[in-house]
Amino acid sequence: MSIAKPRGSIFSYVLAAIFSVVAIFPFLWMALSSVKPLQELYSVPPTWIPSHFSLENYVNVLYHSNIPRYFLNSVVISVGSTSIALILAILAAYGFARFRFRGRNALQASILISQLLPTATIIVPLYVILSNLGLINTYIGLIMTYLIHTLPLCVWLLISYFRSIPYEIEEAALIDGASRLTILWKIVLPLSVPGIISTVVYCFVSTWNEFIFALVFATDSSVKTLPVGLAEFSAEFKTDWGAVMAASIIMTLPIIILFFAIQRMFVSGITAGATKG
Amino acid sequence: MNPLRRINPGYLFVFPALFVLAAMILYPLADTVVLSFTDPSGAFVGTDNFRSVLGSRTTPLATYNTIYYVGGTIIFAIILGTIAGILLDRQFFGRGAVRSILLIPWVVPSIVAATTWAWMFHYEFGIINYLLMSIGIIDKPMGWLITADLVKPSLIAVDVWKMFPFVALMVLASLQGIDSTLYEAAKVDGAKFWHEVRYIMLPHIAPVLASVTLLLLIWGFNGITIIYTMTGGGPANRSLILPIQIFKEAFEHFDFHRAAALSLVLFVVLFVVILTQLAISQKRRDSVDR
Repeated sequence: MSIAKPRGSIFSYVLAAIFSVVAIFPFLWMALSSVKPLQELYSVPPTWIPSHFSLENYVNVLYHSNIPRYFLNSVVISVGSTSIALILAILAAYGFARFRFRGRNALQASILISQLLPTATIIVPLYVILSNLGLINTYIGLIMTYLIHTLPLCVWLLISYFRSIPYEIEEAALIDGASRLTILWKIVLPLSVPGIISTVVYCFVSTWNEFIFALVFATDSSVKTLPVGLAEFSAEFKTDWGAVMAASIIMTLPIIILFFAIQRMFVSGITAGATKG
Repeated sequence: MNPLRRINPGYLFVFPALFVLAAMILYPLADTVVLSFTDPSGAFVGTDNFRSVLGSRTTPLATYNTIYYVGGTIIFAIILGTIAGILLDRQFFGRGAVRSILLIPWVVPSIVAATTWAWMFHYEFGIINYLLMSIGIIDKPMGWLITADLVKPSLIAVDVWKMFPFVALMVLASLQGIDSTLYEAAKVDGAKFWHEVRYIMLPHIAPVLASVTLLLLIWGFNGITIIYTMTGGGPANRSLILPIQIFKEAFEHFDFHRAAALSLVLFVVLFVVILTQLAISQKRRDSVDR
């Protein structure tokens, strides 16, 4: 006999419909607004489906604004920070998962706790430090700063992943005289590809979306990231909401694509890490 | 013999990451302490910065706003997220699609949520005023983000929209761990759906809700982005929360020392809250194990 989960009633369908509409509506409205010509955007009552499909807003954003440059800056900073975090986190997570040493649990817990630190409590001294080092308005300044977010997260996710790999395989290689680094590189990492992919995506997304550090540490348009650009754009073009919506879509699309490409893996990775922790 | 050989290799693996984190987190934290007890010339001034910032008229208002905003977000995100999680745990046609759709708010960058909702809340051309007027809930357009009494509830709505999917996912993951024979036993005893929720689901997801509450609390204190871009703390500081006050002290009034003092107070309060919560959940876990 199969064990069936409780079946949904009509009520479930109504509720599911309400939740879905609420969740997707702002996103749909943003997409619809981004392809409306100006006079339709500012019409009362508003039209639901644009009567004239227009790419004018996208042309404005892509050719007459700094958004493409900010997009490039965001890519460089997110990729840079995620890569550094990943390398350091793979080593650290392997150390925590496979070695016993004094203070291990305390150090591991402190990494978890450091992730809970509110941004506001360290933004002032970080600004002072970065400006003393001449790292304000540089890529490297933001890349380093974002390690605060990405590194603890990567370590956290990867520890639980490495622990799930059976140790016997590594023992066999150790007996054959392989070094720890070789084992990590040749055995553990190939077995951890799904875990590493979801870790990378999570880090990339969190740096891509970060706003407040970028607002303070990147004030020059040569390093400004997309979130800061978007905030500035919506203040500067107060009247041009179509362009703001187009820029929002441009910023959101890479994230949506990434997430849905790996949705299944991602959800199980995050919930496993969180419920165990 | 190579001296590195004598060190436990575990330390070598974890050292680089710990060093970077110490440099980026511990050192700035220590620096916050120094800044908060000194003046711009570097002289020790005792508790002057604390007294000046805590005594300012803005601080009590910002504290009240923070509790209102973070508390409101947590309550509604937990309630809606739990309902959505229980819903997704049931079998119905299109469940996978609904689950994907519910992920959207959580995935959309905060800044994009802020610009989109600001446009939806627009006084003249916003879709929210239009919809509410056409179904007769309001009879004239409302200035959601510029009216003192409406701004906090409006911002809470945005944050809840962004956060409830996360709660739903965590609740769903936890519910899927319930042994289905429990439901069958309940069915045999003639339990209604409500009884299952009350006596099987809620007790099972309680620990998850506790950790989610803690996360929402921390994210709430980090949630500068939405408020800062939508209202900047206005109108008349009605949506100014403590993290934004710190930000403004530092980067609009350029008073790093007062900002550091306020950061330190906020840090200590949050730290105590986090430790208390962790201790309580640890105790509960121990008592379950026994």
